[in-house]
Amino acid sequence: MLKVIARTANLAKTPLSRSLPAFSTCGARLSSSADPTSRREAPKLENETVLTLPEEAHQKNALESNITVPTKVDLTPVSGVPEEHIKTRRVRIYQPAKNAMQSGTNNIHHWEMEFDTRQRWENPLMGWTSTGDPLSNMKVQFSSPDEAIEHCEKNGWTWYLDVPKTEKPLKPKSYGINFSWNRRTRVSTK
Amino acid sequence: MLRQPLTRAIALSSPSRVAPLGARRYADAVPAQPEKVEVFIDDKPVYVPPGTTVLQAAAQVGVEIPRFCYHERLAVAGNCRMCLVEVEKSPKPVAACAMPVMKGMRVKTDSDLTKKAREGVMEFLLVNHPLDCPICDQGGECDLQDQSMAFGSDKSRFTDIHFSGKRAVEDKDVGPLIKTIMTRCIHCTRCIRFASEVAGVDDFGTTGRGSDMQVGTYVEKMFLSELSGNIIDLCPVGALTSKPYSFAARPWETRRIDSVDVLDPLGSNIVVTTRTNEVLRILPRTNEEINEEWLSDKSRFACDGLKRQRLVTPMLADSRGNLTPVEWEDAIVAAARAIQDCPPDKLLAVAGDLADAESLVALKDLVNRLGSENVYTERDFPLEGSGTDLRSSYLLNTKIANVEDADFVLLIGTNVRFEAPLLNARIRKAFIHKETDVAVIGPKIDLTYDYLHVGDSASVVKDLATGSSSHEVLKRLDAAKRPIVILGADQLKTQEGSALLAYTQELALRLQDKLQDKNWKVLNVLQRSAGAVAALDLGYRPGVATALAAQPRVVFLLGADGGVVTREQLPKDAFVIYQGHHGDVGASIADVVFAGAAYTEKRATYVNAEGRAQQTLPAVSPPGRARDDWKIIRALSEVVGERLPYNNLDEVRDRLGQISPALVSYGEVQDNNYFAQARALSKSLQKPVSGTLDVQLKQLEDFFMTDPISRASPTMAKCVQAVIKQKSSVY
Amino acid sequence: MTTRQAIQVGTKTVKPLLSLNSVEARKRVLNLYKAWYRQVPHIVKDYDIPKSEEQCREKLKELFLKNKDVTDIRVVDMLVIKGQMELKETVKLWKQKGHIMSYFKPTEEPKPKDFLSKFFSGNE
Repeated sequence: MLKVIARTANLAKTPLSRSLPAFSTCGARLSSSADPTSRREAPKLENETVLTLPEEAHQKNALESNITVPTKVDLTPVSGVPEEHIKTRRVRIYQPAKNAMQSGTNNIHHWEMEFDTRQRWENPLMGWTSTGDPLSNMKVQFSSPDEAIEHCEKNGWTWYLDVPKTEKPLKPKSYGINFSWNRRTRVSTK
Repeated sequence: MLRQPLTRAIALSSPSRVAPLGARRYADAVPAQPEKVEVFIDDKPVYVPPGTTVLQAAAQVGVEIPRFCYHERLAVAGNCRMCLVEVEKSPKPVAACAMPVMKGMRVKTDSDLTKKAREGVMEFLLVNHPLDCPICDQGGECDLQDQSMAFGSDKSRFTDIHFSGKRAVEDKDVGPLIKTIMTRCIHCTRCIRFASEVAGVDDFGTTGRGSDMQVGTYVEKMFLSELSGNIIDLCPVGALTSKPYSFAARPWETRRIDSVDVLDPLGSNIVVTTRTNEVLRILPRTNEEINEEWLSDKSRFACDGLKRQRLVTPMLADSRGNLTPVEWEDAIVAAARAIQDCPPDKLLAVAGDLADAESLVALKDLVNRLGSENVYTERDFPLEGSGTDLRSSYLLNTKIANVEDADFVLLIGTNVRFEAPLLNARIRKAFIHKETDVAVIGPKIDLTYDYLHVGDSASVVKDLATGSSSHEVLKRLDAAKRPIVILGADQLKTQEGSALLAYTQELALRLQDKLQDKNWKVLNVLQRSAGAVAALDLGYRPGVATALAAQPRVVFLLGADGGVVTREQLPKDAFVIYQGHHGDVGASIADVVFAGAAYTEKRATYVNAEGRAQQTLPAVSPPGRARDDWKIIRALSEVVGERLPYNNLDEVRDRLGQISPALVSYGEVQDNNYFAQARALSKSLQKPVSGTLDVQLKQLEDFFMTDPISRASPTMAKCVQAVIKQKSSVY
Repeated sequence: MTTRQAIQVGTKTVKPLLSLNSVEARKRVLNLYKAWYRQVPHIVKDYDIPKSEEQCREKLKELFLKNKDVTDIRVVDMLVIKGQMELKETVKLWKQKGHIMSYFKPTEEPKPKDFLSKFFSGNE
């Protein structure tokens, strides 16, 4: 039984680190320098490099190389999200709105994604809010809508972008117009 | 939703989000800006036009200076002193909100002096502020709370050694919407400035000075404004809070869902606050092109009407004519049977004020598939001339944001103040800041600003259009560089409606042709309801009078609660199907009731008076067994045997996009054209008119209850009572 | 809604997870499949589940074929790693009977598919 695992695991195994003292060897001619006088001592080799099995070394090298994959990534097979929550949900990508009750804007300079609202109800035991929707609290923050879009594309969610219309031209404000005698901006009450 | 490839989405997302051109073109028309001034905010250079305040310059580089009294949409007051900053070579700290920048000015917003100044101001403010945050409704979203944490001192020097107590102020009664706890007031005067500048009701003011200063209405008086709720938002502390929302929830336990308001034709952007599947309150959401950051009282406070008078289950009239709850299957089968038995020409569908575009298109497709063209709206509109074929003849072509760039406004038979409060706020803004003048044809009403009253007879419009009027308003209109004419859609339901529209088109087009600015649109028709434009776009025919005369046997009312269709007008055996969310006028005459969803419960498209499609998002789920409106019609179609070809919302929206791409380009608004064609087609309709123009909503008490949701709202009922009571008071 | 029109074309260069090419990835998948296949009799016996070996093999095949259209080498590798974790948990008896049975979804009731029955049956 264990042999079975060992066999499949073999391909995936990462090199084990072993704690042996470091030693130097002249056997490995790694440097191709022509002038031997420039070398002070024999090159030091990592213990792991010396002790790895040939296939392990091969695998390690392979992991350091690059492969070419399609730009479009689809993570849905490995993300573990149930299919009904991928196919039927809609993601809104937006910038959070400023709370009308406050002046500060420090917490709204990012982009967020959220799923469409599903049913929520009051838990009869404690009065807490319950929901049957596993994605109801998945509000992820991004610094730009592109990142959010890429994230949604990767996960296979249908998204749409909601760009707030909050930009307006700068109009210099003036304290003086409160007191201008011939304009309607003159303040009557204080 | 967004029908655009990624490249476009990326363009949208660039860090400096540019305002769309359509709305902002006219603002650029002002004379070229003088040279910019260089100032340094925390050693960061920034170029701003001369006259800009230090606070605005700091905002340009993302430095937010703390403030209480300063508000970017109100006049500068400069009395809270929280925005004190150090300026190099200035002996004292300066108030950033009122100080204009000077060349080479070096501002330090984070220096020791600045910090000390802020600490001092906080200390003074807190000396006279009660420590009742745990029982204060503002707790958790309070500027004073946050800023005392961020900028206040870490220790207190407040020792009430003489036990004299803190300052205490008597609470005021300003009506059923706003709760005042005046002891908490820090005298920022934002409410005073809002009332006098934006609301135009100059009732607030201060009395006394020093620690005896009080903010109030001098005599006890209700705040008689349709925008009163905004002072709750403006108040940086808990002195003014919402009465209906008092002690209801804390901000951290609620969820906020961005949505769109449907109780007036403007489609203001809102945030719906919910907890446990219940709408708790509605707040405005900034949209510079529609509502800025204000919201009318009806939109804000009518949300408690969403919990009352609801249709929670489908119903069917029993043998004695009483509506009894049934299963969906029974209701739909009963309705389908009636429809199948009805000859196509005797089938009538009527759409009401709050119908969304999805259900409108589903209903129209269903009726058309059954072989009938009888889809009507409750609201009237003349069909002669170009009728509803050209979008420009029933929309607010100038666009809401551009109204503030107008230099002369002519209102014909509309009380903008109550029909579209935030459009009126824009006109008032232009009136105050741009010296725009306003003229009114119609009854004398209180618009919160002075206007030229031209008369109330329809013939005035004719005289102006033909140029035969001797009134000075004609000269003013001719001289104006950016005039606008707003015609109330209510005037178009009479016999003379088509002539009135024709004359208004003639007048507006005559003015528009002379303008230098070729992009400026003069003609505006102000619709009365949120569903009106979508219905006209989709090809609904306005006005049911002719259709009722044809004695329909089956009537499908899609949220038609205007009382236009009554039992008396229908034949005795007529079968009435009502679909909607409130048990109002329509449901009371129905044989079958389908329980639909209100605007906070569905993802639905509404097109506002400008022709801008926006979507509401579901904040809560529909109560009981109520369902999304388009799904009900889709289910009905399948049982009738004329299955509609869409199974989900995306497919319905694809269908909407087929009919008009404008219906699915959310948030955007297109420019309208073909004015000349509409004018040419209406030439023959310029018949003599003799009637007088009257408006439906004249007084504040008329404003509050105009649709099924606000009619079901106890808060709105209280408002009406309070306004009537205030009218009888000596003040 | 056609928001996901943003079709990304072309390729990019990335670090591999395990395999360098699809041939190698395929080899790993087949190895994993064989390992599971040989484990099936032990699973039936050890976990005492009310399923025959035949049924288990059928389910195994079904679960593998569910991802037959995956082409991204890294996703294949990740699926292999996850499958191997599952296998190890099964072999070491870290799982319980319910975990094994959950592959068969014995309690799941089929949901209505067509519009009308969805409309009549529930809140959708």
